Amino acid sequence: MEHTYQYAWIIPLLPLPVTMSIGFGLLLIPTATKNIRRMWSFPSVLLLSIAMIFSANLAFQQINGSFIYQYLWSWTINNDFSLEFGYFIDPLTSIMLILITTVGILVLIYSDNYMSHDQGYLRFFAYMSFFNASMLGLVTSSNLIQIYIFWELVGMCSYLLIGFWFTRPSAASACQKAFVTNRVGDFGLLLGILGFYWMTGSFEFRDLFETFNKLNNQGNSLFPTLCAFLLFLGAIAKSAQFPLHVWLPDAMEGPTPISALIHAATMVAAGIFLVARLLPLFTGIPYIMNIISLIGVITLLLGATLALAQRDIKRSLAYSTMSQLGYIMLALGLGSYRAALFHLITHAYSKALLFLGSGSIIHSMEPLVGYSPDKSQNMVLMGGLTRYIPITRTTFLLGTLSLCGIPPLACFWSKDEILSESWLYSPTFAVIAYFTAGLTAFYMFRVYLLTFEGNLHVQFQNYSATQNISSYSISLWGKEAPKPGNSVFSTMNNNNENENILFFFKNTYEFDQNVINQMRYFTTPFLKKKTSMYPHESDNTMLFPLLVLVVFTLFVGFIGIPLVQGEIDLNLLSKWLAPSKNLLHPNSEDSIDFYEFFTNASFSVSIALFGIFVASIFYGSPYSSFQNLDLINSFVKIGPKTKRIFLDKITNVIYNWSYNRGYIDFFYTKVVIQSIRELAKLTDFFDRYIIDGITNSVGVISFFGGEAIKYLVAGGRISSYLFFYLSFILIFIYFLFLSL
Amino acid sequence: MSYFPWLTLIVVFPIFAGSFIFFLPHRGNKVVRWYTMGICLLELLIMTYVFCYHFQLDDPLIQFEDDFKWINVFDFHWRLGIDGLSIGPILLTGFITTLATLAAWPVTRDSRLFHFLMLAMYSGQIGLFSSRDLLLFFMMWELELIPVYLLLSMWGGKKRLYSATKFILYTAGGSIFLLIGVLGMGLYGSNEPTLNFETLTNQSYPLALEILLYFGFLIAFAVKSPIIPLHTWLPDTHGEAHYSTCMLLAGILLKMGAYGLIRINMEFLSHAHSIFSPWLVIVGTIQIIYAASTSLGQRNLKKRIAYSSVSHMGFTIIGIGSLTNTGLNGAILQLLSHGFIGAALFFLGGTSCDRIRLVYLDEMGGISIPMPKIFTMFSSFSMASLALPGMSGFVAESIVFFGIVTSQKYLLMTKILITFVMAIGIILTPIYLLSMSRQMFYGYKLFNLSNSFFVDSGPRELFVSICIFLPVIAIGIYPDLVISLSVDKVQAILSNYYYR
Repeated sequence: MEHTYQYAWIIPLLPLPVTMSIGFGLLLIPTATKNIRRMWSFPSVLLLSIAMIFSANLAFQQINGSFIYQYLWSWTINNDFSLEFGYFIDPLTSIMLILITTVGILVLIYSDNYMSHDQGYLRFFAYMSFFNASMLGLVTSSNLIQIYIFWELVGMCSYLLIGFWFTRPSAASACQKAFVTNRVGDFGLLLGILGFYWMTGSFEFRDLFETFNKLNNQGNSLFPTLCAFLLFLGAIAKSAQFPLHVWLPDAMEGPTPISALIHAATMVAAGIFLVARLLPLFTGIPYIMNIISLIGVITLLLGATLALAQRDIKRSLAYSTMSQLGYIMLALGLGSYRAALFHLITHAYSKALLFLGSGSIIHSMEPLVGYSPDKSQNMVLMGGLTRYIPITRTTFLLGTLSLCGIPPLACFWSKDEILSESWLYSPTFAVIAYFTAGLTAFYMFRVYLLTFEGNLHVQFQNYSATQNISSYSISLWGKEAPKPGNSVFSTMNNNNENENILFFFKNTYEFDQNVINQMRYFTTPFLKKKTSMYPHESDNTMLFPLLVLVVFTLFVGFIGIPLVQGEIDLNLLSKWLAPSKNLLHPNSEDSIDFYEFFTNASFSVSIALFGIFVASIFYGSPYSSFQNLDLINSFVKIGPKTKRIFLDKITNVIYNWSYNRGYIDFFYTKVVIQSIRELAKLTDFFDRYIIDGITNSVGVISFFGGEAIKYLVAGGRISSYLFFYLSFILIFIYFLFLSL
Repeated sequence: MSYFPWLTLIVVFPIFAGSFIFFLPHRGNKVVRWYTMGICLLELLIMTYVFCYHFQLDDPLIQFEDDFKWINVFDFHWRLGIDGLSIGPILLTGFITTLATLAAWPVTRDSRLFHFLMLAMYSGQIGLFSSRDLLLFFMMWELELIPVYLLLSMWGGKKRLYSATKFILYTAGGSIFLLIGVLGMGLYGSNEPTLNFETLTNQSYPLALEILLYFGFLIAFAVKSPIIPLHTWLPDTHGEAHYSTCMLLAGILLKMGAYGLIRINMEFLSHAHSIFSPWLVIVGTIQIIYAASTSLGQRNLKKRIAYSSVSHMGFTIIGIGSLTNTGLNGAILQLLSHGFIGAALFFLGGTSCDRIRLVYLDEMGGISIPMPKIFTMFSSFSMASLALPGMSGFVAESIVFFGIVTSQKYLLMTKILITFVMAIGIILTPIYLLSMSRQMFYGYKLFNLSNSFFVDSGPRELFVSICIFLPVIAIGIYPDLVISLSVDKVQAILSNYYYR
């Protein structure tokens, strides 16, 4: 069965023909290509399915008798510098291959319907196929240079796809922001690669690890740590970890299938992949492992707090992605390779499900509220969608529960594993991780409840229009997006800024009176304006991927369940990862105490349930069976009035923090962007007035000198010319004699 | 192989055939255009034929040597010959000039003179790259200036006279130093002037004189290359010139400086070069950052692209200064790669500027919908320019990086510092390139002008940009195509440094 290994190079190349043919078709014969536009989705799905079959075959072989396979070709021949190109297949690669191809196929099927009315349908499929190709190339790369190449290519695909709707100024600045932020990571990655090349003389993983471990025996020094940190910087940017996470929420400007595929399941996992791939290198440097786990903890907490009060459904999912990636990074920092990969898999399926579900919601909301993203993705305007889109609702609920960590859904198993690992490592990290698990449950249910429970709030769209996204999402590196003026409501907005931020709160408090009013004028104005009054369920082509992902979310957790029941070894993942595990922990036992597992699990589940409970108190609808009025009233009336004001203040602070994205974007705009602009101005000034000024002034002085001589000195008389000539000669001769 | 002066034919043919343009019947511009196009194509065909069939890649020595005695008194020969170093620039010249002629299709004003000047430049450039005699090198260098000056001052933009004067003064000022260097080098040592490259290679000078000569040549080449702080003619010139002239300027003219630096400074003055090379590396590093950040502050589209080419030439200088095989190969590759990318960016920028009749970036916007093809090509080339893997810029820049890292001349700390600063350039490059393409294409804007100007690029323009795009991709995917041309010669040059 080694044949599959031999032909594995074909996997990354498979999706390429679609990109190339669409690209040339659009450039050379645009009309003909556009006429058969819907046909193009078929070959892209087909080719990716072939890639999936290949990778499934590889994965089965890895599970049965796993060994590492590598094949190389030389790329550039030079006397002292040779570069090799090849592919490298080990358990990590095969896991990533399966993940990318399955999610990729589902997203392609989904986007055939989602993008069907878009002008750029073909462009979209070309980009998508190219992305798939380069992502598959990234995970099969055999050396660091190849990783860097595909790393940049996926970054470019992400740039193109974020800026897919390029007429939107916000998308234009978002894609540039994403690219430049990722370039900061690439900067680190490149320097790290060069540093390790200098130290070990190799780019190839296994040589690199061997040589490095030999070199590193004498202990830690600064230079390897620095290089390892620089490598990790690449992963920070790509996986949206703490200081460089700013691009991910803005990346939601892209079409929703992209957010599902690139910004939730695959490309952001590339950073995780890199760290996992280089883990043998990093484990040799304890300091860097601490940094990795620290960054992971900061990110998971930050992401969760920022997700608390987002209005935009995709943005809050994006922050949730960031937080979950923080969990994975934490697990890697703790050295538990298996838990990290397990959570990577489960999170990818659950988050893809959630994003595709949100796409379905947006699709159903768009005819009602308009196609602007700050309307169709605004959760203020949603609510009560359960009645209209029941299938999406069920799938979304399952995804939410999975992400909250409710058994037996996928994320429960993996998250629980990370949480218990972190408890062994450091209690502080564990407390933060457990706390964030509660926060996760809270914000995920907030999203769910605001979207599906209660009533449809379409009539609020005027309120939301006043606070245009551009006013608080600072458009980096660019001009300010033009604010659509809404004279009537903008004054109202200015008066009660605070109330606007606390919009959801007020809303829920005064719900009981509002409901009746709203229902009354609900029917009349909207019947005239809109063709359809209620949201509609999406087409089957969109629901099918959702259902498949539900199946994954339900059952993918079972591959890694640590319980061994009798003789049937259920723990597929451990078997899969066997060789890499041996590489990392030569003698670690897999025995897990049932009792310990149970206590851990019950603890984390109870925290998640508490989060859900709090969310339902705040955001639950009056009609939900969960909530009776006593509960809310008792909660509200618990303390005296002073205490309530205090509580309000706290919530205010939290909401402001989350709303302004933790003031980090603000900081970057003020400091980084501004300083770069100042530098540009300074160098431009220097260039124009000093360097060029010298040149120009030489020109001007010589011009005036010539004029001066013409008018003042000579006056056109030959005798005076002669006089000057002779006198200068005399002076010259004088000096000549003097020197002799 | 029967002897035939192929190189003489290649050098003389364009200007000779071009001078017949003035005798063509007055039947509109069409005849002139097609005639020029035919000459360019024929020249390119001869070149490829000759290089395909008669050039041995594995031979680092000079090939196709033509040697005719010209002026007896001071032993001045018409001496031509090419080796692995010059074959790349010559082929680039043929390719870019042909495409620039095609790009200059809309030029109607005084088209006879325009096309003649293009052909004259063609001859001059090939002559420069293939000359094996120091004085001939200087003559070709000067021959180059006049067509550029005329092209600039007659077909340029509003401030064309200022730019043209600045260009001619700057480069003529540089040429003085070149002349000093040529004469100093030729007249040193023996009573007979030695101008032959081959004898000069083995000549050694006292160190002070060598440094002096090196410095003279360096100034001349620094103006052309350009190396900061002698670069300010370039943005002005590129900002004003017609885009086909810009293609020639960015694609070929800038390469003359770096070519001269390798050919004369590295080959003949190796002692001085090993003294000066750290300075070259430092200047190159500063240049990358400096030009990139200056580019960010430009409002004018063409000036922004011009500064980007200044920034990219910094990599070439670092590669030349790194004194490694890898670095020098990277420098040569960067020359060629920037020749393609820079020319294409100027072409696309120029055509879109002409269409919307704006040059300032902050006034543009939203032209991606009327011109999707220009948008596609422009984004592809800006990706190539910011060193996206799979395109030539990435290979060249990364090879320069490896060159500087593996260089044994520099200490660890300096290497770390230099690499670090170079890598900051990697962050700055996308900022200016992407914000340029964002300001030009992204967003939405209603134009007050009538729609007739907003045609997308036609087949001719598409052909030009795709023609340039193909080699960019090809070099990016398989860099050995170009590296194999120069690798032996590079080793021969650098062996001087190792064995002394």
